[in-house]
Amino acid sequence: MDLISDMSEARSQFPILERILPNGKKLIYLDNAATSQKPSSVIDAMNEYYRGYNSNVHRAVHTLSGEATEAFELARKSVANWFGLPPGGMVLFTSGTTDALNLCALGWAKVNLSSGDAIVLTEMEHHSNIVPWQMLAKEKNLELRWVDVDSESYQLDLEDYKSKINGAKLACIIHTSNVLGTRNPVENLVKIAHDSGAKIILDCAQAAAHEKLDMMDINADFLAVTSHKMCGPTGIGALLISPGIFEEMEPVVGGGDMITEVFKEYSTYQENEHRFEAGTPRIAEAIGWSAAINWMKKLDMNVAHKHTLKLAKNAVEGLKQVPGIKIYGDHSKDDVSGVVSFLHESLHAEDIARMLDSMGIAVRTGHHCAQPLMRRLEVTATNRASFYFYNTIEESNAFVDAVKTIVERFA
Amino acid sequence: MSEWPEKVQEIIDDFSEALDQMERYEMLFEYAEEIDELDNSEWTNNTRVVGCQSEAHIVVEFGENGFHLRGSSDSQIIQGLMAITAIALEGLTPEEVTGFSPNFVSEMNVLETLTPNRANGFLNMFMRIQDDAREMLG
Repeated sequence: MDLISDMSEARSQFPILERILPNGKKLIYLDNAATSQKPSSVIDAMNEYYRGYNSNVHRAVHTLSGEATEAFELARKSVANWFGLPPGGMVLFTSGTTDALNLCALGWAKVNLSSGDAIVLTEMEHHSNIVPWQMLAKEKNLELRWVDVDSESYQLDLEDYKSKINGAKLACIIHTSNVLGTRNPVENLVKIAHDSGAKIILDCAQAAAHEKLDMMDINADFLAVTSHKMCGPTGIGALLISPGIFEEMEPVVGGGDMITEVFKEYSTYQENEHRFEAGTPRIAEAIGWSAAINWMKKLDMNVAHKHTLKLAKNAVEGLKQVPGIKIYGDHSKDDVSGVVSFLHESLHAEDIARMLDSMGIAVRTGHHCAQPLMRRLEVTATNRASFYFYNTIEESNAFVDAVKTIVERFA
Repeated sequence: MSEWPEKVQEIIDDFSEALDQMERYEMLFEYAEEIDELDNSEWTNNTRVVGCQSEAHIVVEFGENGFHLRGSSDSQIIQGLMAITAIALEGLTPEEVTGFSPNFVSEMNVLETLTPNRANGFLNMFMRIQDDAREMLG
């Protein structure tokens, strides 16, 4: 099968990118780190489910339910294959990365960690990989250790990590930063954690959009992933667990579909993934995610990422010429994602974002759910333009020109 | 279309004559300079408008001459909206302030939406002013 290596061909499959905004401007969508757009095949797959075989899964004997169950469980296999799950590993569907991290905290860590045990976090974490651990630490009297981020190189301080992991039971680390684009040396971080006897969970929300992750290569105990940043629908993600973890977990949410038998006195639970998926699952979303994976399989991800990087680097070079702009992140590297965080010395990020919006350009503004990192960078907010493979060099240039115009007119 | 006090209608009319959104932002930057500015040294947790992406601080006063607003923000757009709000509400009683609609901003065409959300600094500020006025009413 020939992979799609022409990014304009890839772009043509995302109808929203032709959108004209109410002010008459053509949309330039540079908020991909928040959520990606969806190709027609994903939208069609979800439509087909609702139009053709919408039904609840797993229990009914009728035809529709059989078709829905087959598609839903096929989606689980599709996710397992795409992320290179090792034999014996499992895909536990969640509502997204945040939910996956919470499932790890409550389903595994709560059961296996005791008072006084330590968890290692980094200053680069998204709030979704901080708050669940703070809540658990409070409940179980756990110690949270923080690894520094170097505010010059925008990298984790590896020596600090080596020191903090010593004696800790779990490391919770972002694979690729949603603010800086930094790709952490996850293979090394996993090895160091395992050598020291700790388990490790990686927040792969950003990473899964930009590189083909392979759980066997990465060798982490848990990966938290989401569909909506990799061209799939919102509302679904997964906690990917390595072999042996399932047996160490306890269900967090009780209800239908996760039980084998319910008595007045007690219940017994399923011995498969369903144990952690109480209630009617996200059927349409799983089918949509599977369609997104099928679409991504056709994309040459290496070419796609090189293209994304070219656009991000072009924007960085352009922004560097604009007086008063500071860039956050090291874009000289080739393993960063497509995010470009920046600030102007006198114009507030929110003002710049509103003005860009009036020019049709969608960027993100704020603390990006990473307030400890913001404090390390000594800022309260940044602007963040985040590129993806379907963006064009013309859009990257238009973005730089727009920032230049704003600075010339308002600073 | 609401019936606005004359000074508010004048502002709405001025904004309606702007060529485009960027010109409206320019006008907001100019208004931002007109506010009775709250110095950064006066910023406290009590003055802070919660729910703004930018830092926005206000002090609501009801003196003999009625409502008066002091405020500042590190976003010039928010400070400009603050200044216009100050003009709109200047001299009103607490009761009048609580009944004042924030929709004049929609009619100025400077904000796309007045939906309450974490990015809507203006609405959060306006609601905070009305909360303060409500407290005055007991």
